[in-house]
Amino acid sequence: MPDESKAVDFDRTFLPHMDAAYNLARWLVRDEHDAQDVVQEAYLRALRFAGGFRGGDPRAWILAIVRNTAFTWLKRNRGPAAPTEFDEQMHSEAGEESGLEADAVRKADGAMIRAALEELTDDFREVIVMRDIEGLSYKEIADAADVPIGTVMSRLARARGKLARSLQERIGKDRITKEPT
Amino acid sequence: MNCDDARVLMHGHLDGELDLVDDLEVQRHIEECPRCASEYAALRAMRTRLKDDAFRFEAPAALKEKIRRAIPASTTARANGYQSRRGAWVPRAVRFAVPMAIGAMLALIIAPRTIAPAFNQQLASEVVASHVRSLMAAHLMDVASTDQHTVKPWFNGKLDFSPPVNDFVKDGFPLVGGRLDYIEGRPVAALVYQHGKHVINVFMWPTAGTATSAERIETEHGYNVEQLTVAGMNCWMVSDLNQLELDKFANLIRAKG
Repeated sequence: MPDESKAVDFDRTFLPHMDAAYNLARWLVRDEHDAQDVVQEAYLRALRFAGGFRGGDPRAWILAIVRNTAFTWLKRNRGPAAPTEFDEQMHSEAGEESGLEADAVRKADGAMIRAALEELTDDFREVIVMRDIEGLSYKEIADAADVPIGTVMSRLARARGKLARSLQERIGKDRITKEPT
Repeated sequence: MNCDDARVLMHGHLDGELDLVDDLEVQRHIEECPRCASEYAALRAMRTRLKDDAFRFEAPAALKEKIRRAIPASTTARANGYQSRRGAWVPRAVRFAVPMAIGAMLALIIAPRTIAPAFNQQLASEVVASHVRSLMAAHLMDVASTDQHTVKPWFNGKLDFSPPVNDFVKDGFPLVGGRLDYIEGRPVAALVYQHGKHVINVFMWPTAGTATSAERIETEHGYNVEQLTVAGMNCWMVSDLNQLELDKFANLIRAKG
């Protein structure tokens, strides 16, 4: 039966990417338990759609499903209005023109980086997670996030710019509270 | 190269994703421009920080175990009929198009309603029926053209609105034509696209009320229906494409709206 071989293929093709799937889901829904639900649902959906997998990169394929599942989940459970968007707009106005400083980035601690990442809008956060944390190529990101490959670099540029600026602001605030004049 | 270009392209440079010419140009710009050089240094520093394992969440062992356990169970279930209906459906469709199409119509009418209430079930059966009819009666198109500038004006005078017509041949969904159809008691535009051997019917008419978000159903026999509102148009897509690919197509439509 072709179904038997398909089952083996599914195991070998998609199960190795459970960590990548969870990492993306965890960053998108920002909750440990919800991320587990999303990944589980995504894998069940992947199993249903496995017949539609026409070769290519299995990690990008499973991440595309994780991402859709996560966004559907977010819409259903947290409503359309993300409070992060508001914050994100404020950040973008502050110092868009000021240059980035490597120093600030080096001084930022893990908690700051995590908070800054979580504050990005979903499409900016996901592209950084896919590229810088998960190590996907632009082509794989284009497939997984369903955007033209030409969009990947410009979106990354904006996302990283926002992240770096946000770190600079945090470092700046930190400095003021630690060294009162 | 100016700074505006360099500030985007330096990301491709950092990621090793540029072609040689651009790569060298960015490199040269960074060497000559102190402002961009410092920006690039910041980006490199940030990338190094993000590579830290502390930022990568690993799937809990219990979750992995749960998924592993769930897979064989579902696969068995699939072997008992699920897969034979879905996976094998596409090649069979060529030989058994008519009976299968009627089956799909019946399934839509008879199948238990498992769809979210927001989704208009009545309309869904109507568009699927139109889709099936267009394939069965060999009346797929009134105007056969891959040129959006031929298809769009063709609707003039036949409809009281002008549907957005775009060709997505670059993305693998070429426009093949259009026709008039009748949905919900009114004439609508039907655009016909192709993806491989699959036909996609896109039905469009102006929306009366508020915008609805995209919803989707999947029928038992492989017809997928996706609905969205784009540029003030109700837009229904029907095809035997799998959900992922139909979704990809829906995104193209959405992006153009």
